[in-house]
Amino acid sequence: MTMETATNGWEEGRRPPSRFAEGLRRNLPGYLFLSPWLIGFFCLTLGPALGSLYLSFTDYDLLSAPRFAGVSNYVHMATADPNFGAAMKVTFLYVALSVPLKLAFALAVAMMLNRGMRGLPVYRAIFYLPSLLGASVAIAVLWRQLFAADGLVNDLLWVFGIEGPSWISNPNYSLYTLVILSVWQFGSPMIIFLAGLRQIPADMYEAASIDGASKRRQFVKITLPLLTPVIFFNLVIQTIDAFKAFTPAFIVSGGSGGPINSTLFYTLYLYQEAFGYFRMGYASALAWVLVAIIAGFTALSFLSTKYWVHYDD
Amino acid sequence: MTDAAAQALPGQQPAYPALRSAISHSVLMAVSFVMLYPILWMLAGSLRPADDLFGGNTSLIPSQVTIEAYKDGWFGLQISFGKFFVNSLIIATLATIGNVLAASLAAFAFTRLKFRGRAIWFALMLGTLMLPYHVTLIPQYVLFLKLGWVNTWLPLIVPKYFAVDAFFIFLMVQFFRGIPRELDEAAMMDGCSPWRIYTRIMLPLSLPVLATAAIFSFIWTWEDFFGPLIYISDTGLYTVQLALRSFIDSSGSTNWNALFAMSVLSLIPIFLIFLFFQRLLIEGIATTGMKR
Amino acid sequence: MTTARIDRRQLLAGGMGLALASGLAPMARAAGTPIRMVWWGNEERARRTTEAIRGFEAAQDDAVAVATEYMGWDDYWTRLATQVAGGNAPDLIQMDYRYLFEYVGRGTLLPLDEYLGNALDIEDFGKENLASCSVDGKLYGANVGVNSFGMLLDRAAWEEAGIEAPEIGTSWETFAERCAAFKEATPRRRFYATADTSGQGNSFELWLRQRGKELYTEAGELAYDADDAGEWFDYWAKLRAAGGCVPADVQAQFKNSLETAPITLGTAATDFAFSNQFTGYQAVNKASLDMTALPVLPDGAPGHYLKPSQMFVVSSASKAPEAAVRLAHYLVRDPAGALILGLDRGVPASPAIREALLPELDEAQKKSVAYISAIGDLAGPLPPSPPKGAGEAYAIMLKISQEVAFGMIDPAEGGRKLVTESAASLTR
Repeated sequence: MTMETATNGWEEGRRPPSRFAEGLRRNLPGYLFLSPWLIGFFCLTLGPALGSLYLSFTDYDLLSAPRFAGVSNYVHMATADPNFGAAMKVTFLYVALSVPLKLAFALAVAMMLNRGMRGLPVYRAIFYLPSLLGASVAIAVLWRQLFAADGLVNDLLWVFGIEGPSWISNPNYSLYTLVILSVWQFGSPMIIFLAGLRQIPADMYEAASIDGASKRRQFVKITLPLLTPVIFFNLVIQTIDAFKAFTPAFIVSGGSGGPINSTLFYTLYLYQEAFGYFRMGYASALAWVLVAIIAGFTALSFLSTKYWVHYDD
Repeated sequence: MTDAAAQALPGQQPAYPALRSAISHSVLMAVSFVMLYPILWMLAGSLRPADDLFGGNTSLIPSQVTIEAYKDGWFGLQISFGKFFVNSLIIATLATIGNVLAASLAAFAFTRLKFRGRAIWFALMLGTLMLPYHVTLIPQYVLFLKLGWVNTWLPLIVPKYFAVDAFFIFLMVQFFRGIPRELDEAAMMDGCSPWRIYTRIMLPLSLPVLATAAIFSFIWTWEDFFGPLIYISDTGLYTVQLALRSFIDSSGSTNWNALFAMSVLSLIPIFLIFLFFQRLLIEGIATTGMKR
Repeated sequence: MTTARIDRRQLLAGGMGLALASGLAPMARAAGTPIRMVWWGNEERARRTTEAIRGFEAAQDDAVAVATEYMGWDDYWTRLATQVAGGNAPDLIQMDYRYLFEYVGRGTLLPLDEYLGNALDIEDFGKENLASCSVDGKLYGANVGVNSFGMLLDRAAWEEAGIEAPEIGTSWETFAERCAAFKEATPRRRFYATADTSGQGNSFELWLRQRGKELYTEAGELAYDADDAGEWFDYWAKLRAAGGCVPADVQAQFKNSLETAPITLGTAATDFAFSNQFTGYQAVNKASLDMTALPVLPDGAPGHYLKPSQMFVVSSASKAPEAAVRLAHYLVRDPAGALILGLDRGVPASPAIREALLPELDEAQKKSVAYISAIGDLAGPLPPSPPKGAGEAYAIMLKISQEVAFGMIDPAEGGRKLVTESAASLTR
């Protein structure tokens, strides 16, 4: 999204009385509308964020005062922490798998539900149910019932004569059960896609129908382009969320990130360091490295928008 | 399904749509079962005796049905669960109003108003999405403690009126940008103030996204347990999620039946909210469609 | 009808308004010295504890108002750390043995020696017991429950297989033989004699103590070497290969909680847990459980020791430490309070309280008391206190045991790795 700096204000074509008043008149409406967010940003968000940035340069064990430690936390991370590499690997794999799968699934279902079919509100509601369960601890028990050695999945495989492993507790598969969990909770992006589909004016399709465009062509020429801002939104948000994913691994692995670090999500590791082992300084450094990584990905996404995202303005 | 097929047949088109509809329905129903299984399983779990819960029991039908868990759960925490439902309802409602208001104001500024530094503010706004909350927890706690807000609902509600959750701003920005500019440019020519354009044009035209934001806002506040965990200590102020967590003690014994029973109940309000707002989401289209 | 509905609506609105007001304004406290007490535990513990606290408030000459907070184990430590770090530490805190050293080491707790014998009259707990709640010779906690690690047995499953179940004094060698024989004999599918405890630091500690070693030295360094650890991993690797214990992926389901333990999930006839968890295990297990000591070296002692399952400690930032100490005393030693708490937090340390409780115990509780009594006679001295960073060593042990179990490294390499990584975690 390119945002050119303000050259013309809201109302144009009048003589400015003075530069200051002119600037005020141009910028004031924007800042007034933005003021709730600005207050929140400066009073509630910025302070704690800067605080954690400072802590990342200290040894801070939560219970006694932080001691300045220069860049030692960052050095340790880069040179002497095997878990850091493990957490990175797990997290990147999770992002790379769960984001595209979840988005594709959500979009496909949203398209299906956007047609004029009977019983759609019921389906929509049912499909959103798993997302309502969110971070419920019941998920942990449920996932074990499904993916343990004697779980439902293996019961099904047994019918075909296959004796499956314990998916959830085998380091080779455990991460994939969490990917499935993430895809299974596809409700939020689905709803956002639906809202996006709803916002496409019906008359555009009518016009296309009159022109004799096929359904497929309508999808490629109308639906897809007009939906790109929403696709883009879901992509950015899901990527950020996947990088920051914490709860699924915390609940399903009991906070351990195991077996053998196979579900050691980055933020789970960060949490262990902070609250399990009293290394808040190090955890803060981990957090800011994550911010840098996510910011990099987000910036790339925004740079790519001019090639594929279609805005009306 | 036969209904749908019968209805589709008399049309001018051949039997092909009926088949398609049948296929769609079967796919949707199959997916529905996968989606519904956990809820059914939880329901079954809330009805079966405690020693029947574990040990590889994947059957949906309890060997023995008992509703003890609902009684146990409802009165289990010395204060009845009804109180927690009221608490959660109040917090989630107030938070939703704040979120939708504050985020739409900011999104309007980012999409329709021009001012110095807009791009920088926008980038900073997105940046706030990226920092894991675990590391800002303690500075934030100190802040709310100094304000005297600890052990009140204020830390759970007030920030929403200042749009601290950038998700909602970004969401609305994307949708506002899809609303054609001609509309508000025309209104601007007529001398409408930005406030009028915001209230009379943008908000009515963006009903789908407002409904979406309201759904998420309500449900996520309802489900949030970390905020209440850190800031609420009086049992009388507990939210449903926090009360649910009180059943769990991995170091000792957990009353799983009661937990499942109350989890099932806790889904009902958010499910109703979802059903209510999804109507708005659907109606939204009619409005947008006609106004163009 | 209409009026009735309006009335109901008004009533609802009124009720919501009231709830709202209470939620948005800081709570007004009751008269008296205000103190805050926090603990982890389930709703049953909450019921008992608040009842006892009511009694305490009523019994005080000078008014004390106790505000209580409680939550589950996982949430408890995050929240406690946040409160302490944020300068809002509770006055009376339920503390775990492992975390005691973390909190004392950082100066957040108050030594209680000056109260001992007066406000905190718990000398009948015995020297050993008081020592188990002390760090560097200073008393920090009032013991709420005596605890020891041990082995859970599903005796019926052993009998069903026709194999003699282990008991106090069974050697590691005999145990391994019986477990392997169990696999052949049991009629159940996917069922094993024992859980795999190779990743549990508590079992490894007993194994070491039976060999005259410890996990840590007094100076806070590792007190075992790579060979010790390698031997430990090797024992379990052989048992695993023989089908004597559950396979790696079954054991990996264990998340340190009762309902994920192999014995609860119906995959093993033996498991490993602390005695204060016994009644909890019994509640989620269909089979009747028993408790015994871990296997030993031939003719050796089991290496067990008694430690507090949990204790009450006082924050060094408390403004009313005396009131907090009095409450602790009331809960652990005053029959009026301690009898209400019962056995919920473990077997009471005071012989008098234990005696008074005996008649009211149920079957499972009697078994856990009996186990503590049996172990008490065999118990060895307390180990040196675990150093800071010991918490991470538990996690490292679990991880490496899984690497061995899944066949990624051999037991000897596991032993070397455990020593290197644990030592590194202690020096950070």
